Amino acid sequence: MESRVLKPILAVYLGLFLLFLYGPFLVLGILSFQQGPEGGPQFPITEWSIFWYQHILGLAPPSRVAPLPIGISLFRSLSLAFMTMITSTVLGVMSAQAFRRNFRGKTLAFYLIVLGMIVPGVLVGLGSALVATTTGIERHWWSTAFATHVVYTLPFAFLVMLAIFNRFDGSIEEAAWSLGASPVRTFRKVTFPLIFPGVLSAMLFAFTLSYDEFSRTLFSSGREQTLPLAIYGTFTVEIHPNVFAFGVLTTLFSFALLTVYAILMTLSVRRARRVAIQESIA
Amino acid sequence: MTVANIAAPAKARVKTRAAKGLGVAGTYLLLAPAMVWMTLFLVVPMAMIVYVSFWTQSTFKIDSTLTLASWRTFFASDTYINSLWTTVRIWLIVLVTTFLVGYPTALYVGLFVKNKTLQTALLVVCVIPFWTSFLIRVLAWRPMLGKEGAINILLMKAHIISQPIEALLFTELSVVIGMTQIYVVFMVGPIAFMLGRIDPSIIEAARDLGADFWRILRKIIFPLSLPGVVVGAIFVSVMVLGEFATSAALSGRKVNLLGNIIVTQVGSLKWALASVVGVILTVIMGLVIAGLLRVVDLKKEL
Repeated sequence: MESRVLKPILAVYLGLFLLFLYGPFLVLGILSFQQGPEGGPQFPITEWSIFWYQHILGLAPPSRVAPLPIGISLFRSLSLAFMTMITSTVLGVMSAQAFRRNFRGKTLAFYLIVLGMIVPGVLVGLGSALVATTTGIERHWWSTAFATHVVYTLPFAFLVMLAIFNRFDGSIEEAAWSLGASPVRTFRKVTFPLIFPGVLSAMLFAFTLSYDEFSRTLFSSGREQTLPLAIYGTFTVEIHPNVFAFGVLTTLFSFALLTVYAILMTLSVRRARRVAIQESIA
Repeated sequence: MTVANIAAPAKARVKTRAAKGLGVAGTYLLLAPAMVWMTLFLVVPMAMIVYVSFWTQSTFKIDSTLTLASWRTFFASDTYINSLWTTVRIWLIVLVTTFLVGYPTALYVGLFVKNKTLQTALLVVCVIPFWTSFLIRVLAWRPMLGKEGAINILLMKAHIISQPIEALLFTELSVVIGMTQIYVVFMVGPIAFMLGRIDPSIIEAARDLGADFWRILRKIIFPLSLPGVVVGAIFVSVMVLGEFATSAALSGRKVNLLGNIIVTQVGSLKWALASVVGVILTVIMGLVIAGLLRVVDLKKEL
């Protein structure tokens, strides 16, 4: 049978595919341990060292390689991602809640929201920069860039919540209402705990997308750089292994973030299960 | 919370299941913030791009006298026209490469891996690189493709080549390689999803009737996965057409996409010309998406 031959071939192909995905990253990781400050961003490794990691953290003696402006830009990126996460998740949940019933202009509203993830970042950035300059609004990462980030992350949060509400059993809410609970109380005590895993996913989406976003930020953030803009700045000049070391560190940071998400997710699932058990006992 | 103020009367609530405790006004109130946000920060800026593309641009100033000058500048310049074709060419190439590289992977994950947990695990492994900064992933190709890069060193050690291949970095090829690696996952995901939904008994039936695997692939598997291909193609198209960072990092300024033109024009405060390029990019994007949506009726298929 062909599939008996084909399956191992495709399995090998998958291996090669993963090598293609991860290969550059392995090389980057290896080169981040290049000797410094003379060692260049290529092979061979003259001597293994952690110089570039010290360089990132500001612990290395001053050299001709300028330190990456990480501290403040990291703070800006994290704050921006946090603001974006909260705003787009709240708006996403509200919009998806509205979409649970039919209303006039539903299709238009759907496309208007989804448009935010379709229009390329460079255009959104350009457009908001134009609006800002012509109206005399100053551009900052916490104002204009924040607005464009939410435009980008809101559709993701919205679609996640839409999928969650699609599988949602509305009769539980009706039970709460018929027992006399107000809509607010119903949302807080019944609806929200049930959609919480979805809310977490929407938050994760929004945070990571905003944290890594730069084509929208490039034109709309003004002079104060976010982290991706600081990295983008290294594109035009000569690159040094400190960028690689930085790449390794950001990846570790992302994994830490992912772990937090996984823990929260497990906890919320476990809690839901415990509540269910308690109810069945009572 | 707004939910409280806009609760529908109790009667209506009990009457319709779909009402979910909110009146029509409530629905619009819930929706309003998102609508206002998207209008102010997406629709207005996009309209502004169209408007400003007709403004009069002098060296460092711009005023709102309407003119076609910037449009003429664009279409009269070989540099800009070339970048238009480069963008279309790179987009088409990357579309094909992401499909060719991604489809076998999706085929294996979606169709041949029967265990759902393993399937999810493999997809997660494909997505993990996305938790690294996009720009870092682009930069990672430099030590890989360079003259003294990993690929050349490996090929020379293996005695496959005696001279390092210089065409690997700072060419159109390096841009295509980089973009393929970065965007291929957007192809793999939707296709694997569609393949995973194929009822195995259809394939079994075809096999029992004597069809060989290629015939099954051509006549059953591929047509059924087509919506996934289209969704993947839309993702890839949207991202590649708006690209400028990969070409900036990996082409050594040799490949100028429309996105790169916008960045340089904004850098020199030529807002009108940047807007012209923006409008052209928007039109291309609209045509591409409309064209792809004609291939399959996504609403029906998904």
